[in-house]
Amino acid sequence: MTGADLTIVRGKKTVGQRILGVFNNSIVNVVFVLVALFWLVPSVGLLLSSLRTVGDSASSGWWTVFTEPTQLTLENYAALLSNDTITGSFWNTILIAVPTTFFVVLFGSLAGYAFAWMEFPGRDWLLIAVIILLAVPIQVGLIPIARMFGALGIFGSILGVVLFHIAFGLPFAIFLMRNFFTQIPSELLEAARLDGASDLRIFLTVIVPLGVPAIASLAIFQFLWTWNDMLVALIFSNSQSQPLTVAIQSQLRQFGANIDVLSTGAFISMIIPLIVFFAFQRYFVQALLAGSQR
Amino acid sequence: MTQSAVAPAETSTGRGGPGRSSRASSRRRMFLIALIFLAPALLLLGALVAYPIVYTVVRSFFDASGGQFVGFDNYVEMFTRDSTFTAIRNNIIWVIVAPVTCTILGLIFAVLLDRIRWATAFKLIIFMPMAISMLAAGVIFRMMFQENPNLGVVNAALVGINSWFTDESAYPGANVRADSGLIVQGGTIASDGAVEPGTEQNFPLVGIRADSIPEEAAQAEEPGSAGSDEITGTVWLDVIRGGGGENGEIEDGKSGLPGIRVDAVADDGSIAASAETDAEGQYQITGLADGSYTIALPASNFTQGYQGVNWLGETLITAVIILSYVWIWAGFAMIMIASGLSAIDRSLQEAARMDGASEWKVFTKITAPLLSPVIIVVFVTLIINVLKIFDLVYVIPPGSSKPAANVIAVEMWTVSFGGGNNQGLGSALALLLLILVLPSMIINVRRFREERSR
Amino acid sequence: MRKSLQHRLLLPVASLGVVGLVLTGCTGGGGTDTGNDLGDFSGETLEVSGAWSGAEQENFEAVLAQFEEDTGATVNYTSFGDQAATTLGTQIEGGSPPNVALLAQPALLQSLARDGNLIPLSDNARAAVEDNYSESWIDLGTVDGELYGVWFKGSNKSTVWYNADLYDQAGAEVPDNWDSFLEQLQVISDSGFAGISIGADVGWPLTDWFENVYLRTAGGDMYDQLTNHEIPWTDPSVAEALEVLAELFGNQALYQEGAVQRTFDDSVTQVFGADPQAATVYEGDFVAGNIADDGNSVVGENALFYDFPAVNDSEPAVVGGGDVAVALVDDEVTDALMQFLATPEAAEIWVPNGGLTSPNSNVDTSLYPDDISRQIAEALTGAETFRFDMSDLTPSAFGGTPGQGFWQIMISFLQDPSDIPGTQQALEDAAVAAY
Repeated sequence: MTGADLTIVRGKKTVGQRILGVFNNSIVNVVFVLVALFWLVPSVGLLLSSLRTVGDSASSGWWTVFTEPTQLTLENYAALLSNDTITGSFWNTILIAVPTTFFVVLFGSLAGYAFAWMEFPGRDWLLIAVIILLAVPIQVGLIPIARMFGALGIFGSILGVVLFHIAFGLPFAIFLMRNFFTQIPSELLEAARLDGASDLRIFLTVIVPLGVPAIASLAIFQFLWTWNDMLVALIFSNSQSQPLTVAIQSQLRQFGANIDVLSTGAFISMIIPLIVFFAFQRYFVQALLAGSQR
Repeated sequence: MTQSAVAPAETSTGRGGPGRSSRASSRRRMFLIALIFLAPALLLLGALVAYPIVYTVVRSFFDASGGQFVGFDNYVEMFTRDSTFTAIRNNIIWVIVAPVTCTILGLIFAVLLDRIRWATAFKLIIFMPMAISMLAAGVIFRMMFQENPNLGVVNAALVGINSWFTDESAYPGANVRADSGLIVQGGTIASDGAVEPGTEQNFPLVGIRADSIPEEAAQAEEPGSAGSDEITGTVWLDVIRGGGGENGEIEDGKSGLPGIRVDAVADDGSIAASAETDAEGQYQITGLADGSYTIALPASNFTQGYQGVNWLGETLITAVIILSYVWIWAGFAMIMIASGLSAIDRSLQEAARMDGASEWKVFTKITAPLLSPVIIVVFVTLIINVLKIFDLVYVIPPGSSKPAANVIAVEMWTVSFGGGNNQGLGSALALLLLILVLPSMIINVRRFREERSR
Repeated sequence: MRKSLQHRLLLPVASLGVVGLVLTGCTGGGGTDTGNDLGDFSGETLEVSGAWSGAEQENFEAVLAQFEEDTGATVNYTSFGDQAATTLGTQIEGGSPPNVALLAQPALLQSLARDGNLIPLSDNARAAVEDNYSESWIDLGTVDGELYGVWFKGSNKSTVWYNADLYDQAGAEVPDNWDSFLEQLQVISDSGFAGISIGADVGWPLTDWFENVYLRTAGGDMYDQLTNHEIPWTDPSVAEALEVLAELFGNQALYQEGAVQRTFDDSVTQVFGADPQAATVYEGDFVAGNIADDGNSVVGENALFYDFPAVNDSEPAVVGGGDVAVALVDDEVTDALMQFLATPEAAEIWVPNGGLTSPNSNVDTSLYPDDISRQIAEALTGAETFRFDMSDLTPSAFGGTPGQGFWQIMISFLQDPSDIPGTQQALEDAAVAAY
């Protein structure tokens, strides 16, 4: 095709085609670089704030370090990491976040499979009811669940915090898994069913392997939400079972912006989620390659 | 529609070719198995999420302490409070703006992600805000949008850009010494009465820091004598460091203010002549015809530089909070949609491309429909999430714009825990929140119906 | 944010002195009849919660460590931050409240006591309180004739802090009455700095302004009546106090612009930070903690305070606040801890470390780490008229909630100080709705 032909063809393209046509790779690259830079500004601000003293933060903006790099200090990190409450609460956070994530993913996928591929009366209405539960604000649960846990004797325990998180994580998990599983080509399931496979078997050998990208993203977000939760933990844990967020909260001074503690705490508590993200990243990429190689 | 979106339910009913007689029993079996798959989730949801709704419904009919049944009083009170309507209005703005923005950004990022080599790094950058606690995210946004350009990076950037185009005046914020016969109008400092050639007009100024006046400034001196076509005078800082002295008098320790433009304004408002003060603060306007003039120090001597935008004020506060929300949640949309994208069968797209379909066609006719289940999850989740938005609205606005930024979840928290301790009214607000979700459910009901009818 | 809800939860005058953990040695064997012989509670565990965190938490834990040593019991302290009502409310619903909680709001003490969630002090603890506290503090811990509270910490909210360097440079002097206060602010403003910085972003500092002025113009009795809403906010005495305030709020030359968006801690930084823009800031003794955290000024050197100026020759009067310990569990070890907290020995563990102003009259004031904190404490225990912060005593929907009631109406008043009748009417409407 000659250049002249090309322009003629282009000329006939719809508006949408032209918009997408403009997105050639180098422009995409430039735009993405700009987006990434903008997106980084708050994080960089937070990072630099964690590396400055509280006095510096109160009197000048964090970008001052670019002209006065001597302001940088690790003393905020030293202060938080030498604190036994903080280091001790790391383990509690893991004890809360890992089981929560595991059970949300497990129960969510089981239910998601049932909603996607099984037929039973009232299925869609039940699903809609579950989605409506997404809208229940966590604050609504505090008092009634505190009563219930008090009666059951699990108030203040890690178990209570975990149960609370699982329950409030499930509506999203079910919704996501159900919608994701409906994407799976039906021939695959029919073939397995004709082979006489049980539902459990289909779930384990067909659905779960194909659902890995969704499971990975659900897991990472559920993990993050649980990891970063403060409200539930503040009320349902006690001094022995408190996670990192509550421990950091207890380091805040009254009447301060507390930017030093909050920014440092944010980066300390971000380490594990970012490691988890990298770990799960493999699965997104793997699935991507599998798809494009076919 | 596309192949994989075929309703799963039909597949399951359609499979029972040989054993038609046992259809009823197989249905029952199916139901039992479904129940087993659903049991753990439904049990937890029922006990820990549905039960609080029932509790909330009951609680909303009782008074603040929970001891007395009050019927619909809480609902009446809810709808007679201004703050409820502000909250509903803000929630509507949120629902219209935030989910669409996040989803579209997420979709663009996810779809174009495989065009760039550093996709992983990009994903990480967009994802990172999700890993930052809401409290820290709120604090950093509040910091970034502070009005003071020394502390808020956004205004610092605006002021920085602005200063390339305009010069800052030498004496921003200067004011006149009270009772010195001077007036201030629109930033211009002027003599109160008319001044005639051959006389003097002095300007004792205050409100200028001793350490911010130019280095060449010297001890203020009495004005030189004025010729018949001249007006003279002195402009000086009428403050002695450490206090003391007589107000309005030129004395030892008071500094002249050099470089100030002084205009002689004629009756018709035109500038007849002008001069500039010297190191001792003296000026001398010459060449004036007979008549009376107003002696004015134009506002350009005293204007404050551009000070940036009042982001956290009542008008813009919701926009700033929504921006912070998009910063956090676009990563969610991107990761979700990317994972949906990675699971779909690429062979269809490849085949379509082979057949000469344009990229746009491939996207609209193949990719988007295949992605729609995930996009719907993201969109609906964001709508619901935005309806119950709490943390960011709780953290970012300064107290004075809190009422303007109010949303239902914050109102509910404030009423039931944050001071009011009125859980009856709080429960009514929580139910209002649940009811507001229903319209977004209609999207889903329609979709399920479509699936069924296919 | 945090501070919005927790302005009441007193402040760290933290690191004002040396923050070290003096675990033992301070209590000495004074052998007073209260305190040392509390009984043996080895093996028992107590949960204590309060708003204190950071340095205050460390100091309070040192106090608790002495109790552990005396009795053999184990005490765990947890901070509930600014969520006192929520945390305690849910813990009570869940059936496991802490043994002892420290509350900053008498209104919360009253509502918990009326709901039957608090345990009245035992005879021994009551005796300890009566020995060590003045009548006004005992009254503040009493609900319907029963004594529930031990005031462990007090604060003086009638202190005006100033940057002495800027005062010297401008030639301003320490004022002794309201008119001279305004004159000095004008002198400073002439020198190119703002006279005073007001952090009105949430509104509670403005309520403290009003309370100080009202206590001086109307007197203690009227103050009590207004607190209990026995007189309406449309009363002429309220108008008089607002008029006095309007002399300041209505003169924008005197205070730094941008007040309604300025946080309280920024208002302190504006005066005592690296690049001061204003010379004065009014708030309670906890300002010293902010100054120390900021680190650019030194309390006692260039950061000094004077008492809130008299209005129309009023007597010295102090508006204050405090944290009160209450028992939520009815057992002997809890009672022992309450008795311990009422002794001067308990407070004297914390006092030398700085950050604690004790309302306990028998605390040895020579133990305060510096002159400033001693002056504050003496002003608090020695004031001729002492009144608790009004907004803490009113229903919290009126006096304790950001964005509404007293707080918000005072922000509106700062924005438009000319509308005194409108402000009074708005306050009255809010009060009627809340009481």
